Amino acid sequence: MNAGSDGRSIGYRYAEQHDPPDPVRVSDVAVTTFEHVFEVDPRLMERWVLQQQFPNWDSLRIMNSRHDHLDWMHRHFAHRVVVGSELLAEVEQEGRG
Amino acid sequence: MTQTDRGEGGGADALSSPFTPGMRDNPAELGEYVDGIVGRPLPVVDGAPVGDPGPSPEQEFATEWRNAAYNCFSSGHKFCREVCPVMQVTRNESWTPTAFHANVVAMEKGDLSVEDVAADYVNCTQCGACELRCPNTLFTGDFYRFRTRTVDVVKAVRALAVDQGVHQEGWRTWNARTDERTHEPVLGDTPVSQEHVRDWSEGLDLPLGGETVLFVDCEAAFYRTSVPRAVAQILRLADYDFGLMGEQWCCGGPAAEMGYVDQAKRFARHNLDNWRSTGTKRVLVLDPHDYISFTEDYPRYFGDEYADIEVVLVVELFAQLIREGRLTPSVPVERTITYHDPCRLNKRKGIWKEPREILRAIPGLTFNDVDRVTQWSYCSGGGGGLPVEKPELTAAISERRLEKAAALEVDTLVSACPWSERPLSEAGAGQDIDVVDIHELLAQSLGVEVGGTTRGPSTGEGAA
Repeated sequence: MNAGSDGRSIGYRYAEQHDPPDPVRVSDVAVTTFEHVFEVDPRLMERWVLQQQFPNWDSLRIMNSRHDHLDWMHRHFAHRVVVGSELLAEVEQEGRG
Repeated sequence: MTQTDRGEGGGADALSSPFTPGMRDNPAELGEYVDGIVGRPLPVVDGAPVGDPGPSPEQEFATEWRNAAYNCFSSGHKFCREVCPVMQVTRNESWTPTAFHANVVAMEKGDLSVEDVAADYVNCTQCGACELRCPNTLFTGDFYRFRTRTVDVVKAVRALAVDQGVHQEGWRTWNARTDERTHEPVLGDTPVSQEHVRDWSEGLDLPLGGETVLFVDCEAAFYRTSVPRAVAQILRLADYDFGLMGEQWCCGGPAAEMGYVDQAKRFARHNLDNWRSTGTKRVLVLDPHDYISFTEDYPRYFGDEYADIEVVLVVELFAQLIREGRLTPSVPVERTITYHDPCRLNKRKGIWKEPREILRAIPGLTFNDVDRVTQWSYCSGGGGGLPVEKPELTAAISERRLEKAAALEVDTLVSACPWSERPLSEAGAGQDIDVVDIHELLAQSLGVEVGGTTRGPSTGEGAA
């Protein structure tokens, strides 16, 4: 089966849903699996709140939806996009003034 | 954002100075910090004193669902409210996703029985808007592998109610008739039956069984037969080999949605066994509700036994076939349209590009699109058994959806879900807007005379 419009394979196969790419550690407490998907180190989710069964499509759906939602928010509510460092410089400038 | 200022000289008080366990720059004493902030949940089974009646069924139920419920109850964001189609038309606080979770908390504490609240849980289309828009899903769900589960909670409470003998009369009758006929009674008093499940394909001479089968949901098989006829003829046009199931039963999804889980599992078992008996490895699905059943319910029921079955959504397949040049829509369709994102595709599966790809490939269309995020708050009201118990709510939700379409000055609302098309069509009549299925529209542009009906056999009218 060939790829869909976003490069992913169309068609659901159970066997493909439970093994995300090997995690790569990105901080003491987080790993990354798929591109743009960051996950808490699962060892921190072993006591009070256990992780849910999460097929790969669901992680990707949420990540993609989040990006779509943030784009939507920007389109609807942001007059301009400001880089954080600009804001910090502005605050610093005001502090000096 | 969590403030991490620990004050002068730092400190090891995790209550006044929140910290992230495991970070290497934590003070050494916090590395050995024993988490004692939250007490362990009280045991509800073991250790009950002599004479104690023990946990109620609701409390046993809550042991499984308490984390999902507190995930909502302890946050209280309530972003779910304005995307909820039922909330939009009723403003009833007892019918919100928040209430559905809070009830579970109350059941755990012994303050509610399922009988008290079962009727409230009718008021949900299981569209998934609330759980996707919830920050606990949208912003942290993939990070923690823990997200809001309103749909699962609603299904579970409905199942608990059925288990406790608390039935909604419409659902009880609907599922009893489904059980008797192996298909949903979508034609009302006109009975459906196994002998007629393939009548929609009359004259198409489709084979039975094979490696790939086309699964046709009850609504399309008996009521809107133009949809499977369009799909079958388009597949044939693209030289795509497929057959029909020898003995197809309802997928079982609606029974699961209404709480009749044992019945749902029996139907699922039948269908899986039937696929096995014909050597089927790939199931083509034209209905988003079936797609949910086959990619969420069946894997839960069967686990590894389901490993060799591939489920393909027809709308994704058609977009691919167009991309590959195996389908080229060339007959202009002069309509001004907008597209209704079916909830189970857009919100619950994140599938929204491919239908638009198809529509943009059809010449002649003027496409006034509404983006997928705006459509998180749109719904037809046709899912989750709502039309069976509360048809007036379904009608109100569809009415609202058609008002959105009318504001775009379109003459056609295109959907990709047969279950949405009946209530949307009824609402569309008042707005003078046609409701057309995307597969029907594509077939028209491919020069296919579809045949079949769009409004059931008794009042049937020709499709494209």
